[in-house]
Amino acid sequence: MDSLQLGSYTFSSRLILGTGKFSSTTVMLDAVKASGSQLVTVALRRFNREQPGDDLFSPLASIPGITLMPNTSGASTAAEAVQAARIARELSGSPFIKVEIHPNPQHLMPDPIETYEASKILAKEGFMVMPYIPADPVLAKRLEEAGCASVMPLGSAIGSGQGLATAEMLDIIIRESTIPVIVDAGIRSPSEAGLAMEMGCAAVLVNSAVAVSGNPPLMAEAFAEAVGAGRKAFRAGIMEKSGIAAATSPLTSFLGSGT
Amino acid sequence: MNTLPGWLEAGAGESRFRTMLSPDSPYSLEQLAAASRAITMRRFGRTMTLYAPLYLSNHCPSGCTYCGFASDRNTPRRRLEPGEIRKELAAMKQLGISDILLLTGERTKAADFSYLRDAVETTAKAMQRVSVEAFPMSVDEYRALAGSGCTGITIYQETYNPLHYAELHRWGPKKNYLERLETPSRALEAGMKTVGLGVLLGLSDPVEDALMLYRHIRHLGKTWWRAGLSVSFPRLRPQNGGYEPPFPVSDRQLARMIFAFRIALPDVELVLSTRESPSFRNGMAGLGITRMSIASRTTVGGYHETETGEKGQFEIFDDRSAGAFCNALREKNIEPVFKNWEHAYNGPSNTGIDQTITSMNREC
Repeated sequence: MDSLQLGSYTFSSRLILGTGKFSSTTVMLDAVKASGSQLVTVALRRFNREQPGDDLFSPLASIPGITLMPNTSGASTAAEAVQAARIARELSGSPFIKVEIHPNPQHLMPDPIETYEASKILAKEGFMVMPYIPADPVLAKRLEEAGCASVMPLGSAIGSGQGLATAEMLDIIIRESTIPVIVDAGIRSPSEAGLAMEMGCAAVLVNSAVAVSGNPPLMAEAFAEAVGAGRKAFRAGIMEKSGIAAATSPLTSFLGSGT
Repeated sequence: MNTLPGWLEAGAGESRFRTMLSPDSPYSLEQLAAASRAITMRRFGRTMTLYAPLYLSNHCPSGCTYCGFASDRNTPRRRLEPGEIRKELAAMKQLGISDILLLTGERTKAADFSYLRDAVETTAKAMQRVSVEAFPMSVDEYRALAGSGCTGITIYQETYNPLHYAELHRWGPKKNYLERLETPSRALEAGMKTVGLGVLLGLSDPVEDALMLYRHIRHLGKTWWRAGLSVSFPRLRPQNGGYEPPFPVSDRQLARMIFAFRIALPDVELVLSTRESPSFRNGMAGLGITRMSIASRTTVGGYHETETGEKGQFEIFDDRSAGAFCNALREKNIEPVFKNWEHAYNGPSNTGIDQTITSMNREC
């Protein structure tokens, strides 16, 4: 059985869904169910215990078979992210934490330094740390050494829909990593998610592309199929592109024939 | 007046913004609306973050011609005392509100820095997010305010045209154009997380003011790269004092301006208040605006005292209840979001929530 292993957790789905940006909680829940995702991320800032109608956590927690991965979106320093992670664990009971630290609230690019510091602390505290990072192969290895459960490099800027603009760096990260590499951010279409899986990513995290589509549950299903297809292709082994062609005039005739 | 800072001068890269704004723009309103909607959806999704203003005091020493709280108006003056602030907060929590903008007039003895800081402390214990729209302060004062739980400030230059500014601000501390202009930088230097800017539409040429506002935002974004920036679009409406705006801005002009800002600054939060009509607010939701005020009262004590009979700083055009407004958003497939912040992100000032002021909302 091919499954995604994160610590002692096993997931048959390799599609992780984000839960922000949806037009309603009902649509979001329908999309989560349609996606078959078993790991779903939700921002701590969207936990609202005082107002059930505004809360994203409780309705998600009530779906059977779902593991919740709170995220620290909104934190701009390691200290804030660490505090948010502890609150999230207390409220959700989940050991997973997606460390998301973007000090510039405009472009939301992750801060590699603060992310590394927070991840180191949280890994020591026993969290399943899933850091959202720039596609930097060295940072990815440093986070692996720090005890993270996975690394989540961005395909392109959050919400940009620019796809796998960082493919070259992702390829290095995947090649060198001993922990699961999950592409997070920038994916616009199921084919791009499939491509990430064909490259050897362990999973893909998608949010905007599903949330703002005309039919989020249908799009979630499409992503699930593409991720599954991409994974199968990766396991089967993809044919090499033909890159070796013989020159029309022989270059090695001077070597003569024979062995 | 001293010379204006260099960053307010025309810069490279603003020609498209200027073209979008121009009354004879080659871009139709429909074209801009479509582009603006696509960017908004991609970047912010189908959501609207909600906040509410809380007027702490209407004392003011300034003589701004357009303002219902100017010192020569015969409006009864009042400030909220600590117990009243707690009552207002409790009433606002009943509406589901967790993001508050505290307002005062310019600095007075009745509503000075320590009064405001105490109000911030009280509010930060009850709400997830507290920002202030008050008088310009020093870096040290802003630092102290941030330490009390304030996450940001809103400060409108009103108009960037120095000559009009001088005419409109007849007396009082608000006469100082340059001090006001540099206020957002002082707040960010002090560690505030967010700054909201705006011009009061109707006071001066809207295209010129929008351009200067755009330059101000760009300048702040480059200088204070961690800052959360927002632009509001307050438009002068009939108010206490009967002021007629010299440069009235139509709905179509305002919509064009909002679209142009969204396209030119795709990541900046754009804010629309209850000064605008229900139909305009409904229409603009999803087309560029990402943050709206809700169920606002612009009188001091307006949330826990119904029918005070006082006139507010400006008249509210959209007086729908929180529930009715949320339903209108939902009809447009937009989710109203009350809580989009977490105390943990307030840095060292985080003190947690005071459960004595909390209450469960039932309306939305």
